[in-house]
Amino acid sequence: MRILIVDDSSTMRRIIGNVVQQLGVAKEDFDEAEDGVVAWKLFQEKNDYDVVLTDWNMPNMNGLELVKHIRTADKSIPIVMITTEGGKGEVITALKAGVNNYIVKPFSAEVLKEKLDGLVKG
Amino acid sequence: MSMSQEEIEALMSGAGDVSLEADEEVSSQENNSEESESEAVVEDTASEVVTEGTDEEVAEAEEAAEAVAETVIENEESSADDSESTDEDFSDVLAGIDGLVDDEKPAEPKEEPKEESIEDLIDQNQYPLPVKNENKVVNQLNQVADDSEEKASQIFDVLSFILDENNEIANYNKSMGEFIQREAKLLNALTTKFPNIQIFKTNLETATELLETTDKLSSKLNDENNKIFEAMELMQYHDINRQKIERVMAVIRKLNSYLNGIFEDESEKAEVQIAKHISGDSNEIVEADDLEALISQFSKEEQ
Repeated sequence: MRILIVDDSSTMRRIIGNVVQQLGVAKEDFDEAEDGVVAWKLFQEKNDYDVVLTDWNMPNMNGLELVKHIRTADKSIPIVMITTEGGKGEVITALKAGVNNYIVKPFSAEVLKEKLDGLVKG
Repeated sequence: MSMSQEEIEALMSGAGDVSLEADEEVSSQENNSEESESEAVVEDTASEVVTEGTDEEVAEAEEAAEAVAETVIENEESSADDSESTDEDFSDVLAGIDGLVDDEKPAEPKEEPKEESIEDLIDQNQYPLPVKNENKVVNQLNQVADDSEEKASQIFDVLSFILDENNEIANYNKSMGEFIQREAKLLNALTTKFPNIQIFKTNLETATELLETTDKLSSKLNDENNKIFEAMELMQYHDINRQKIERVMAVIRKLNSYLNGIFEDESEKAEVQIAKHISGDSNEIVEADDLEALISQFSKEEQ
């Protein structure tokens, strides 16, 4: 399974990377991007991701814009937004933009595992 | 000669001192020139006598030169007394004025400007801090966020290292367990075949104990790894706190923009020099009577 992890915090990228490694994903099977611009570039170049895990608030291009960009190119790839934005309005906005699932920080590894399992099996 | 209002104001703001100092400088230069001329006269007189006269004439010339030198010294002393008395008079006048604010601080020995740290400035209650890049609030918050990110990354490196080492230990432990299990199986077979040989039985017991130990070690490593994962999860708060700092920074930036806008001066009116002492200020100003006394004192001196 190929995963794209997008977060401006290097610590968060490592935490998420660690969780996906626990799920059995090898280190070379996931890529990291520090903002939407880099992520969108990687997405277009590689075009082989099975899941995108993205933060919302990032410099240059935020997660919501990234989701909209990805949805113009790929309607089916599962996207999970992992963010500190915990408001109901934000969740609805993200879902409308094309997000498949939504995780509010801080989260436990189990929650991310469940969501990923659900998306991969679904 | 009377003083104009501008001259009085100039005096109150310290300009008078400057003109007085200038006068003193002129008189001092004059004294110096007189002094050098007198010295030249003495030297000339003495040299003429030495080159042209007899012994008696030389003695007379020396006496004359000494007399001239004494006169010069007396003149110097009297001129020094005059300048001192002028200073004293001026000090007396100023001392007699109640509530006069002393703008001029006594000259202190000049020291090399020392670069003070923020801690020093804070200890000395020097607020607000000078507008330098390192003192700007947004910059400081940015620095805190960046430093925190760097340290969090280093902590993550340490945790990852422990996790990797634990995994390696787990692998060694697994290999040892597998070996001990094979040995235990062998010893079990030997014990069954040779029940009277005690060493097989004893070693079988030891191997069984070691197997239990490897299981315990494996369990402890798992517990430790879980705690490390827990710590890694908790490090999400670093990201959350960073975003809280960014929220504060955003508020400060908006406030800065608002304050800049509201205090902006778009008028083309030239900046007016501001008054230093105005009636009603907490620092006392010169009273009308004192002012009159000062003016009349100066008028007398001028006459």
